[in-house]
Amino acid sequence: MSSSAPATLALPRILGPIRPRPRWREARLLAVVAVTILVGSISLSLAQRAPDAPSGGLEPAEPFHLTVYLGVLLLAHLAQVMAGRRTDQVLLPAVGLLGGISLLLMERLPQNLVVQTVGKTDLGLADVQLVWLVLSIGLATTLAIVVRSDRWLRLYKYTWAAAGVGLLLLTFVLGTEINGQRLTLSFGPVSGQPSELLKVILVVFLAGYLSENRSLLVEQSTRIGPISLPPVPYLAPMVAMWAIALGIVVVQRDLGAALLFFAVFLLLLYTATGRAGYVVLGLILFIVGAFVMYQLVDHVRTRVDIWLDPFADPSGAGYQVVQSLYAFARGGLLGTGLGAGLPLISGRLPIPAIQTDFPLAALGEELGLVGIMAILGIYLVVIERGLRIGAAARDDFRALLASGLALVVGVQAFIIAAGNLKLIPLTGITLPFISYGGSSLLVNGIVVGLLLALSDKGVEPPPPPRQPGRLARLARRAG
Amino acid sequence: MDRRPVSRSIAHVGLALTIAFGVLAGWAGYWQVFRSPDLSNAADNPAVIAAARNVVRGRILDRDGKVLATTKRDANGDPYRVYPERSVSAVIGYSSRQFGTAGLERSYAAQLIGVSDPDPIRNLLKKFEANPSDPQTLTLSLSLALQKAAVKGLGADKGAVVMLDPRTGEVLVLASTPTFDASAIANPATEDQGFAAVKDAASQPLLNRATQGRYVPGSVFKIVTATAALGSGAIDASTTFPNQAKAEQDGLLVDGFRIREHPGVPARTLDLAHATEVSSNIFFALAGLKTGGGALAEYAAKLGFSGDVGFDLPVAASQVTNGSGKQPGGFVDDVELANASYGQAETFVTPFQMALVAATVANGGELMQPHLVTALSGRSGTRTVSPSPLRRVISEGAAAAINAAMVRAVEGTLGRQFTPGAAVPGITTAGKSGTAELGGSGEPHSWFIGFAPANDPQIAIAVLVERGGRGAQRAVPLAGSLLKMYFDTVAK
Repeated sequence: MSSSAPATLALPRILGPIRPRPRWREARLLAVVAVTILVGSISLSLAQRAPDAPSGGLEPAEPFHLTVYLGVLLLAHLAQVMAGRRTDQVLLPAVGLLGGISLLLMERLPQNLVVQTVGKTDLGLADVQLVWLVLSIGLATTLAIVVRSDRWLRLYKYTWAAAGVGLLLLTFVLGTEINGQRLTLSFGPVSGQPSELLKVILVVFLAGYLSENRSLLVEQSTRIGPISLPPVPYLAPMVAMWAIALGIVVVQRDLGAALLFFAVFLLLLYTATGRAGYVVLGLILFIVGAFVMYQLVDHVRTRVDIWLDPFADPSGAGYQVVQSLYAFARGGLLGTGLGAGLPLISGRLPIPAIQTDFPLAALGEELGLVGIMAILGIYLVVIERGLRIGAAARDDFRALLASGLALVVGVQAFIIAAGNLKLIPLTGITLPFISYGGSSLLVNGIVVGLLLALSDKGVEPPPPPRQPGRLARLARRAG
Repeated sequence: MDRRPVSRSIAHVGLALTIAFGVLAGWAGYWQVFRSPDLSNAADNPAVIAAARNVVRGRILDRDGKVLATTKRDANGDPYRVYPERSVSAVIGYSSRQFGTAGLERSYAAQLIGVSDPDPIRNLLKKFEANPSDPQTLTLSLSLALQKAAVKGLGADKGAVVMLDPRTGEVLVLASTPTFDASAIANPATEDQGFAAVKDAASQPLLNRATQGRYVPGSVFKIVTATAALGSGAIDASTTFPNQAKAEQDGLLVDGFRIREHPGVPARTLDLAHATEVSSNIFFALAGLKTGGGALAEYAAKLGFSGDVGFDLPVAASQVTNGSGKQPGGFVDDVELANASYGQAETFVTPFQMALVAATVANGGELMQPHLVTALSGRSGTRTVSPSPLRRVISEGAAAAINAAMVRAVEGTLGRQFTPGAAVPGITTAGKSGTAELGGSGEPHSWFIGFAPANDPQIAIAVLVERGGRGAQRAVPLAGSLLKMYFDTVAK
């Protein structure tokens, strides 16, 4: 479809000469992370010990899990040292700490929340989560080392977009309905949530589209009264994005993904153009859409009503949110300590879906406000590193790609955390790196891997910029 | 090409996200620090429920240390509650594994279980202790002897008695009949039958009539009207209405509606004291009209009609009108206002509220914070609840005028006919009886509110007997005997 420069797909050069380069900063930070997780693990084992048990020595809760996890972090570090890349040294420790907190939380929750049988062994919640964490970190490290060119992302943005839309449609049609939400796609034994992957595809497409059409979006404008609007043809993507988000809400009943996609889209649009007018326009579209959805779609109205007053029906519709707030309140400033919170009521946890949708409430209870602030702080570190990589990138595509990947993590963390805290209506998306779930962890592993690759100062230079306005020209030619 | 660098936009986005996460942290602080105490102590908080299953709750004692609630263990060693005194069932409520909690067992669940320490610093330090639960024993201002006498006096009737010390707000009696067997609900062996027996009973024993029952007040409401009229300055103690004399004979014409007097009121102009003595409907209708609906509603609210007086048990809101009208205060028209001024119309009150009205007059116009729990004691020490004023409703002068009028209603020559047996021998007693007409056939509600001694009030009382007949028939003599008993036993 493209007549411009022939697309040469640069294959990764794995077999180059090996020139190790030490990464002292990453090593020091990882040491801090290891100590933190070790202390948390010991604290958890103390809390889980029966009150009348003889006081023994200090030992971690699940030594095997701990060893494997810290070992994988060390391997990821060593692999990057050996590869000799000059990539970011803060991301891996930050994400490693979040993953460690996740592992501790899953060890602390009842193991029978999730049971996977492999061969003859039953794997519990923490076992399965550990497997996903290891795969996620492995994936991130592999991408960080192997990806040396961004052409495969840059050149095929419409292909990616088509793949994304196809994936979405496939979920619409073939998805399995769970809890009234059609989010899961299954092929034989393998199942996953495509919306997690979709967010990365969205960022890749937007980075490509916006970097190519940036100058047009910035310079041209249509004035309607006092408001300066972007040129009408370029409004189309915004409206399309809006429509897709609304479609996700209606068909998939996935408010969280819709909110995430639209918010990331608006933030990236602003990043590319620097024009607040786009954001205002997008917010107006959002308010109109939200209002219409509230009037027309039952589950949207339910969610919003629960948000407005969960205590109106504390044992029915508002149950989850009320229980979440109770958990936060029980935590107070310092928390109850890992493993000492969340009472079981007749053998059941008070918050349903705690491991996927409410990990922050559990952590808020056991680590307190101090712990919540620390966790929010780590997310800010991840966001800041990602945006920094974007700001330092050599061209617009990489800048937008890196920023977009950071925003996907940051905005998603915000949406679910704010939902747990009743700041916004609750939506069922995962807390990145902490929630239980394979799709979420693997995709966030891809995000970290791409960010690390983009931060490499030695990566090949970007291709010369292409002439902007391809879409408009195509449209003109067609019309 | 003049382009702003992308990096500057990225910085803006980073700033926006930082602010967003800051808001998030602040919001977490709101729930985890500011709202933490009340949410952690909510009765349906799983921590409270979980603790309630295993923890031995603190005991509940009356003012003399008599046990009102204690704990036994069943065959499995699990604790359950025992309530030795049936007369306090409305106050104490119950705590059952199956049916949850009610009464003080509900409102003080967190303290009885010991998940919440009254001292915030100790609360924080508790998490470092091996056994953080410190169940508190509650000591009440309630007098079991008086409470039993009140329940016995109400007998087979449905009704309520509230007695409190107007100087401190301490509640000595909070009786509601019929009572119920709370032990049967709490005991795992009998809980199903015990709860089934009272849950749907026509006599509604689970309804605390003192704090949750709302009744037409009849003439006892005239004290509220007097409070508003004097408080707002609409009348003073010597105000008379020239048109009253004729109206006593022919009825008072308000907007075409004729308000009739009950028999026994002389056809002449009266001041506040004399009008209270003979319980003139016409005088209080005129006083209410002069005061206006807005001021009447305002003073009712000051007396605690919203129910939001911070009492240890939930109190239903009382009302002077249902608020459907557009006139000041929510009245439909002057007819409703005039009728409400002597306690008919859309006026509904709880016996507890009327006791607060009597206590406010008794305490020189200042309403004290009403409370039942006077001390919480556990391992970590004892915290006492000291009396505190809730608000000043009217001036001491206005209160003195109403006090004098209420003395006349009990001790005056004509007043005695309405309140036979209310006066405690040797002690000047103030009060007001009420006969709340309910329309249709059937007996009216029988009411009395009052206090004694009039010159130095130590005890205020409100008595309601559902369908008890005229005030003088049931409520008045019961109040008199309870006041006498108070001075014979408690005040000694």
